[in-house]
Amino acid sequence: MKKILAAGFLALSTLAARAEYEQVNLTVFGMDCAPCAHAIHVSMKGIQGVNTVDVDLNTGLVSIKLTPGNSAVMRQFNEAVEKNGFTHKDANVLVRGQLSGSAEAPFLEVTGTKDRYALTPFSAGTNISALLGKAVVVEGVLPQSGKGKVSDTLRYKSMTEAK
Amino acid sequence: MKYLIVLVCAVLMAGAACAADHGPVFSYATPVNSQREFSFDTGIFGRSGSQGTQLSTGSGFGYGVTPHITVNAFLPASFGSGNLPESRIMSGTEWSAGASWRFLHSVTSVGKRIESTASLGLVVPGPQPDSGVLGTLHRAPGVAATLATGLASRSQYVWIGGGYTRFAEASNDRRPDTLSWSAVYGYRPSRLRRGYNQWDYRGFAELTGEHTGSVRSNGVILPDSTSTTLWLGPSVLAIFKNVAIEGGVQGPLFRDVSESVYGRERVRFAINLSYLKYSAHTSSH
Repeated sequence: MKKILAAGFLALSTLAARAEYEQVNLTVFGMDCAPCAHAIHVSMKGIQGVNTVDVDLNTGLVSIKLTPGNSAVMRQFNEAVEKNGFTHKDANVLVRGQLSGSAEAPFLEVTGTKDRYALTPFSAGTNISALLGKAVVVEGVLPQSGKGKVSDTLRYKSMTEAK
Repeated sequence: MKYLIVLVCAVLMAGAACAADHGPVFSYATPVNSQREFSFDTGIFGRSGSQGTQLSTGSGFGYGVTPHITVNAFLPASFGSGNLPESRIMSGTEWSAGASWRFLHSVTSVGKRIESTASLGLVVPGPQPDSGVLGTLHRAPGVAATLATGLASRSQYVWIGGGYTRFAEASNDRRPDTLSWSAVYGYRPSRLRRGYNQWDYRGFAELTGEHTGSVRSNGVILPDSTSTTLWLGPSVLAIFKNVAIEGGVQGPLFRDVSESVYGRERVRFAINLSYLKYSAHTSSH
C-alpha cells in the first residue's frame, strides 16, 4: 500500500513539476500606502508555493516568484488582490505547461491545475507546430479579467521546449 | 421584515467612520478593512476647555467581512471632568458597534482610487457616567450614520464626510442630536513615496465641525444648550507594515456655544495606535 501511495505521489509530483507558474508579475491598481502593499504581500505569501513577493507601490507591480513543483493557480493571485479591495490588471507570467490543440489553435494546459489558456502570439508569424504535444515554458501576458475570473487567453511572447 | 433588517443592521453596525488605521485621526474617511483583516485601535482623545478637561481612551476593533464591508466596535473609557458639548467626532463614554460599507470603489490608476463609504451603527451608554451638563441626563441608546467620500493616491488624499447621531429618550431626558462634518486634505511628499517595508508618513490638514441640538432634561429643553463649532488642525500618520501611529491637534475656528453652559473649549487632540492583522488565507484551487 505504501508503495502504491509513494508511486501515486511521485506521479503527481512529476505532473506538477512539469506544469507550473514560475513567475507572475501582476499590475495592481489602487494601492496608495504601505499597509496596502503589506496586505498584498501577506496574501500572496499565503498561497502555497509562493517563494518571494515584491511589491512596488509607485508602479503597482507585484512580482511573485514560485518554488518548483508548486500547484498554485492564477485565480488565487487574482483573489489575493481582490480580497484587499484592489484591482488586478494585466499579468506577465512565466509558466510551464503542456502544449495541445493545433498550430492554428494552440492551448496551454497547466496540468495539476484547471488552468488552461488559448494561446495567441504577440507577433504574427510564430510557428509553434514543432512543440505541439510537448512540455513548454511560455512567457506571456494574461490580459485583465473581471472580478473572480481569469483570462482564458494567454498572449505569448516566447515559447521554448521545457528541459 | 424591513424594520427587522434595519434593526439587525443597526445592531451589527454602529459607529463613526472616523479615523485610525489608514486615514485621518479626527475626520471621516473611506478606508475599510481587507477581507478577513482584523484591526485593533487604541488611543487617547482629549478635549480641554475653561470648565475642565475630558480625556478618553478606548479600544476599537474592526473585521473585514468582505473587501468592502467592515464590522467594528469601539469601547471608550473616559476620565476627567470637563463640561463640554456632545461630540461624535471626539469619543466620549458611549460604546458603539456597527458596520461600514464601501459602496463606491473606483480604481482609476496605479496607486489611486475614488471611493465612498457609509456607516451605520448603534451607540449605547457605557458604564461610566458623563460629566458636566450631559452627566445629569438619563441615557438611552442612539443610532449613528455617517457618509464619507474622497480620493486616495500616492501623493494626495481628499475626503469629505458627514454624520448624524440621534439618541432615544430616557425618563424624559434626551441627549442632543448631533450633526457632524469634516473635510481633510492629506499629502505625502515625493521623497516619502518609497517602499512598503519602510515607514510610510503622511500629513493631514483636518477641518471638522459639529452642531449639537438642544439638551432635554425632565422634558424641558435646557436653554442655550445647542452648540456649533468648527475646528482645524494638523495630524500626522506613520505606518510601518501593519502598525500605525497617528497624532493630531485641533483648535477652534468658530464657536457658537454658550459659555455659561459649556465653557470655552480650547483644544482637541488625539493620539491613536493601530495594529492591522492581515489574513494570509487564500482559497485552494
